[in-house]
Amino acid sequence: MDILYSIYEILWFALIVVTGIALIEGCCYYHFRFHDRPWFIPAALAVLPASGAAGCLALGLVAEPVKPFLWLLGSEALIALFFKYVVKGRNTLPYLLLAPAFIGLALLLVYPFVFEIYLSFHDLKLTTIMAWKNTGSLPFVGLRQYADVFTTSPLSEVTFWALLGRTLWWTFINVFFHVAGGFALALLLNNNIRFKGFYRTLLIIPWAMPQVVAVLAMRGEFHSQYGFINIMLVKLAAAWPFLAHLGLGPAQWLSNYPLTTCTLINVWLGIPFMMVVILGGLQSISSSYYDAADIDGASYFQKLRFITLPLIRPVLMPAVTLGTVWTFNNINVIYLVTGQSGGTERADILVSALYKAAFTYNRYSYSAAFAIVIFAMLFFISVFYLKSFDAAKEDR
Amino acid sequence: MNKESVVHKRKKAVKYLLIHLALIAAAAACVYPLLRILSVSIRPGDKLISTDLSLIPDGATFAAYARLLKETLFLRWLWNSLLITVSTSFIGVSLASTAAYAFSRFRFAGKRSGLVLLLSTQMIPAGMLILPLFLMIMKLGLMNTYLGIIIAYSVSSLPFSIWILKGYYDTIPRSLEEAALVDGTSQLGAFYRIILPLSTPALSIAFLFNFTTAWNEYLVARVVLFSSQQYTWTLGLFELQGQYITQWGMFAAGSMLVTAPVLAVFLYSSKWLISGLTLGSVKG
Repeated sequence: MDILYSIYEILWFALIVVTGIALIEGCCYYHFRFHDRPWFIPAALAVLPASGAAGCLALGLVAEPVKPFLWLLGSEALIALFFKYVVKGRNTLPYLLLAPAFIGLALLLVYPFVFEIYLSFHDLKLTTIMAWKNTGSLPFVGLRQYADVFTTSPLSEVTFWALLGRTLWWTFINVFFHVAGGFALALLLNNNIRFKGFYRTLLIIPWAMPQVVAVLAMRGEFHSQYGFINIMLVKLAAAWPFLAHLGLGPAQWLSNYPLTTCTLINVWLGIPFMMVVILGGLQSISSSYYDAADIDGASYFQKLRFITLPLIRPVLMPAVTLGTVWTFNNINVIYLVTGQSGGTERADILVSALYKAAFTYNRYSYSAAFAIVIFAMLFFISVFYLKSFDAAKEDR
Repeated sequence: MNKESVVHKRKKAVKYLLIHLALIAAAAACVYPLLRILSVSIRPGDKLISTDLSLIPDGATFAAYARLLKETLFLRWLWNSLLITVSTSFIGVSLASTAAYAFSRFRFAGKRSGLVLLLSTQMIPAGMLILPLFLMIMKLGLMNTYLGIIIAYSVSSLPFSIWILKGYYDTIPRSLEEAALVDGTSQLGAFYRIILPLSTPALSIAFLFNFTTAWNEYLVARVVLFSSQQYTWTLGLFELQGQYITQWGMFAAGSMLVTAPVLAVFLYSSKWLISGLTLGSVKG
């Protein structure tokens, strides 16, 4: 019966979505059709907000219909003016096609973002959350949350600055090894060898596996007693005693070297993507360049430096940018390795600390401010990066 | 055959041997963890915790699989995941396909800013939106429901899907639609009868992308779903692995059951997936 109930729930959801889209489309359509009739704006202002507020009340979404009424009145006025003076009834179809997607994005991406900014200036925490849920009001605290971000620890001891340094280090090391490893494997695969497709298939397995499974399985391999890594280290040390003298031996990976463990796991996970992208770039390079270079007597490294690298740059740069952003924002690996109760915070980077501050420590407004700070940093870095990228493009 | 070419040939053989050795080593490093899960999942219950490295353990058995299906809610978790994922991808792809058509074929006020807006949403770190989404879902009273989690997932891959589909529509010649318009269909009819069928590959890439994103999602599910009846498989597996070391075999069995189909689909479709990923970058 559970299954029937879940299907019922999904059908209910589908109905909501379809109704929502129909409402959006209908609303847009009438605006297109009648935007320049003198009676339209007053009529729309009278009918739409009232029926919307009544609908909210009937569905039990709000107790007091005044606030949604005012909201709808304001937005309806804006929309009507937009259609009257900007759109003027032209290009009906593209707007109708775009409306559902953009309203979805506005409600579920832009609104949460604005809500997060609002939260960061207020005080929402475990003690005020029930009041907020019932009345919707929150105490205003100004910039205090932002001050707290820089002066107190997001978790229990690690500071913001330590997290920042660790994040930059983590991003750099990971992206470096992803690109280096991916490049090396792509160069190997780009030879005319047998079983090429077979190797390629095996090599993308870490990327293809569900990340949760991959990370949890690798985490198991770092177990101090039963993990593959330590078993091998013990065997190596037993086989060649001089290695043991050099300090090689089993280690408490998860408790003593959590960041190293996370980095190793993430490098393992990230190489296949880079390899595939770079291999695609390598295969698109025409062999005539290499033939010409051979005639000129170029060495292998000269060809690599003067033909391969410049020609895969257009493929490599977007992949590296994407990889950098992904690595910077990678909560998954670190949370899955260290996130359980009693987990360490010595491996946390900014985003994973953000997640833990919000959901392990329940400091909602604090982590909203923290998130805004991280976003601002990322924003400036990427603007700066795009500028320099454009400048490099113009140079060529 | 002169001496030089023999030396050359030998050198080449050595080179290829080294390449093969390097690739075999790398491939082993990629596959080994997966094989280890497989081997743990068929270990008999009394030998779960051991330092044994052999891939096929003595007394191999499928007992862990049977226990997993009988004693945990694993099937229920899979069902939850499937329902959530399919609904999410369906919404995502249908919204993206129409929006991408508007971007690809029409000129209208706000087109450029719309595209820029789409790209700039990609700069908002996903981890940052979990908190406001969580609070919104809580306020709407949708905690621990499919609706809440689908709402949270549905637009996350939308910008990317729109981008991929727009790139693909751009490659379809306009003359096809113009011919249909001359023959008397409407613009929407041309979209539905000509563009959509022609872009099946891109649509399936977008669907696959939406699907894998939602299927493998963990962090949002962690905070929205809290009863084990409603768990997705990611939460379930994490719990199995987290709680007691004795669940190790069931964890491995569950991992195998989840990974096998995903791996098959991914490896089968990887060619298209990759060409879809690089479509935009090569052109830009």
